[in-house]
Amino acid sequence: MKRRQWLHMGCAVCASLAAGGLLAQGDLDYAPPERLARPDAASDEGGLWAMMDREEKNLRRSGLLLRDEQLNRYIQSLACSLAGEHCGDIRVYLVRTPQFNASMAPNGSMQIWSGLLLRVANEAQLAAVIGHEVGHYLQRHSLARLRDIRDKAALGQVLGLFGIAGLVGQVALNATAFAYQRDHEREADRIGAVLMHRAGYSVEESAKVWDGMLQEMRARDGDGATVSPLFATHPPTPERRDSLSAIAALLPGGSAGTESYLTRVSPFLDDWCEDEVKRHQFSESVALFSRLMVASPVAGLMQCYRAEAYRLRGADGDDERALSDYRLATRDGAPLAKAYRGIGLIERQRHRNSEAAQAFRRYLELSPGAPDAGLIRSYLESA
Amino acid sequence: MSLLIRRYLVVFFLFSALPAVLSPALAQSKNRAPGFSDLAKEASILVMTPDVELYSISAGGVIEPKADWTESAQRHLQASLQTRMTGSQLKVQFLPEEDGDAFAEISALHAAVAQSIALHHLSGGNLKLPTKNDQMDWSLGDAVTPIRQKHGADYALFVWFRDSYASSERKAAMFAMALLGIGISGGIQVGYASLVDLKNGQVLWFNRLLRGTGDLREQAPATETVNALLNDFPAVAAR
Amino acid sequence: MKYLIVMVAVVVLAGCGSVRKVETGTNKVGERFSMQLEGPWNHVDFPGIKPGQLWTMEGITVDELIIYAGIKDGQVMHPDNAAQTKKQNVVFRRDMPTEKIVSMFESVMTRDDSVFKLLRIEPSSFAGRKGFLFEFERIRRNDNLRQLGFGYGAVDDGELFALVYVAPALTFFPRHQARVEAIAHSALISPPVGAAAPVAILPPPVRVSIGMPGQRLPAVSTAARAVAIPEPK
Repeated sequence: MKRRQWLHMGCAVCASLAAGGLLAQGDLDYAPPERLARPDAASDEGGLWAMMDREEKNLRRSGLLLRDEQLNRYIQSLACSLAGEHCGDIRVYLVRTPQFNASMAPNGSMQIWSGLLLRVANEAQLAAVIGHEVGHYLQRHSLARLRDIRDKAALGQVLGLFGIAGLVGQVALNATAFAYQRDHEREADRIGAVLMHRAGYSVEESAKVWDGMLQEMRARDGDGATVSPLFATHPPTPERRDSLSAIAALLPGGSAGTESYLTRVSPFLDDWCEDEVKRHQFSESVALFSRLMVASPVAGLMQCYRAEAYRLRGADGDDERALSDYRLATRDGAPLAKAYRGIGLIERQRHRNSEAAQAFRRYLELSPGAPDAGLIRSYLESA
Repeated sequence: MSLLIRRYLVVFFLFSALPAVLSPALAQSKNRAPGFSDLAKEASILVMTPDVELYSISAGGVIEPKADWTESAQRHLQASLQTRMTGSQLKVQFLPEEDGDAFAEISALHAAVAQSIALHHLSGGNLKLPTKNDQMDWSLGDAVTPIRQKHGADYALFVWFRDSYASSERKAAMFAMALLGIGISGGIQVGYASLVDLKNGQVLWFNRLLRGTGDLREQAPATETVNALLNDFPAVAAR
Repeated sequence: MKYLIVMVAVVVLAGCGSVRKVETGTNKVGERFSMQLEGPWNHVDFPGIKPGQLWTMEGITVDELIIYAGIKDGQVMHPDNAAQTKKQNVVFRRDMPTEKIVSMFESVMTRDDSVFKLLRIEPSSFAGRKGFLFEFERIRRNDNLRQLGFGYGAVDDGELFALVYVAPALTFFPRHQARVEAIAHSALISPPVGAAAPVAILPPPVRVSIGMPGQRLPAVSTAARAVAIPEPK
């Protein structure tokens, strides 16, 4: 966690989008630079790359990497469709972590967390995030930030001579660093939008990503500043949505790619939803699944996991909410094993044995080899 | 609150480091597996890629990884180990870069075991594990077999470092607090080295550095650090 | 923030930690829980590990056997007290069915974003009661170490009794698995002392942040980083 936070601070610039400034058509004629050559090892940029190479090596060895070949190829090729001739320089790594995050290092290694893949509804939304990251890469924002931080660090040393003032000075420096970063975010936003437009995606979708995150944060008790490491440095604002909408108006058309996205990720949705529920932050999960249910081909699955979150939260009325969700999720006889299990578990708690038994039987039919099949079988026998 | 915590830590680690300082003679045997004394003549040893991370401590005491420092530390350690080990009478080989991925899990396992040896055996005191009978008896077992199969070495040397340094703001804060009579932390170097028998995974020899000095960011102090860590490294049997 | 948690844990271990030998033979944990040991173990004690009791063979960064001897209704499982988090704590309820108890352990073991995969959960007699067993794989977030583990548990008179063992998949889990299984099979819960027995025998949940397997483990690896030494460099 710490390492990742630091990655955001120090090098890879995170995926948050900042409020846009005034837009003109001219801003949208973005011409990407030539392919970035590996910098001289002795330069500051070379040092930055070497350090990122090392991080990438650690990442490659991580047991937390999603190694499915097809999924990796799919997302890599989506990145390629955005990055154009830079495609060969960009390496995508999918990391299994139930939080919303993506980042890109200056050497071309990009991390996408499974929590993000769960939260985006279609290719266009994922393209918005990847496009934004590619924007940072193409503009070499990390290098600019490194130099900026270094300059300010020198200033910090001077302040440090005044003893405790160093502490205050440091806070002030951080504030200026964030302001500086916001300009980069704005630029990456704009580039991301242009790239996704050129690749044939609907720019309108990009605003929705942030809208969704806001909803989830509101579900959290209190200020909700830590749903994602992203928001530590970049509080999302309604202006961001407006600015993205403004860009979208200038770049109309394009597709969302909902079907194609869900087809590719559907084998993994179960795992990712499970990871989400396991965070034990059920109110946030309820908000998330509520959002993902809307007009989605996987609404049933999401409703089923919302029910799981209710069932595990177990507050007043949660069992009823869960039951209703499980039932709706399976109303067309959808083969959602977990929903039947959930119905059975709740009915069993309420001593409605025949309803419980019926649901458990269906669960075991659908999922005879489930890790908890032994437990459920025993419930069935005692029902 | 956090100041209080650090003071506790200072006290603990000073105490835990004390026995080793006071009784160097004991420390000698403490670092070896029961029954182990010398390395076999003509034996070969594989030096694993050091696992190292460097951190800075900010004025407020926040600890942050520093990848650029780590990067140079990695290079310096590699160079120092090369010099140090080539001086031994063993056949020395270094783990090729491309094998790092394959043995990552074994390295992680070593780190976990090394931490336990340091905590429960070398620190000792009330953290000793009674079932180990005061002996350095830890083994990575057959987890190391793939290393022997791939490289055919008799032994492996694992090295692990975590090192932290105070930022200039931190130093200023430390100075100010010192005037008020309060000691706060500067930075500390922790290093582990394990000599592992690749036949059975036994940790034959182990050493730890735990000190407020040492610097891996520059070559010369890094060499000093490696030499300190491997100071008591077993010799090759006379015949 | 994580560091703070870690530091608190380290302090606790450093300042007040101690290790005691658990001898072969009958051992009692808490008021009502006992087990037979075929060989000795090490009991690592420090405030903050409550409501569990921690045993190890190889050291706390390697393997952990955590014993829960009578978790009460409403008791928090390893409170997550990091000052800045608003995370919901994991709380045991006496009417929890098996699947919820296991998901409670799961939540505690993934608190540090470790990846947890349930391999099996089924009913099993435990300590003379109808109980359950679960098996899992975990990738510890802190160091990417792949672990295997299992747990046994049963609820008696509204209190949870359980054993959870977790160790590296390489070498250590297979080395100690049978030993722990034997302990689990020998466990016994004695009946509460009369119906009017005082309920609050255990101390109240300790307000020190600690995780179950793993959450605390980084503590030690991080100990070194968090450690303070008086002289500046």
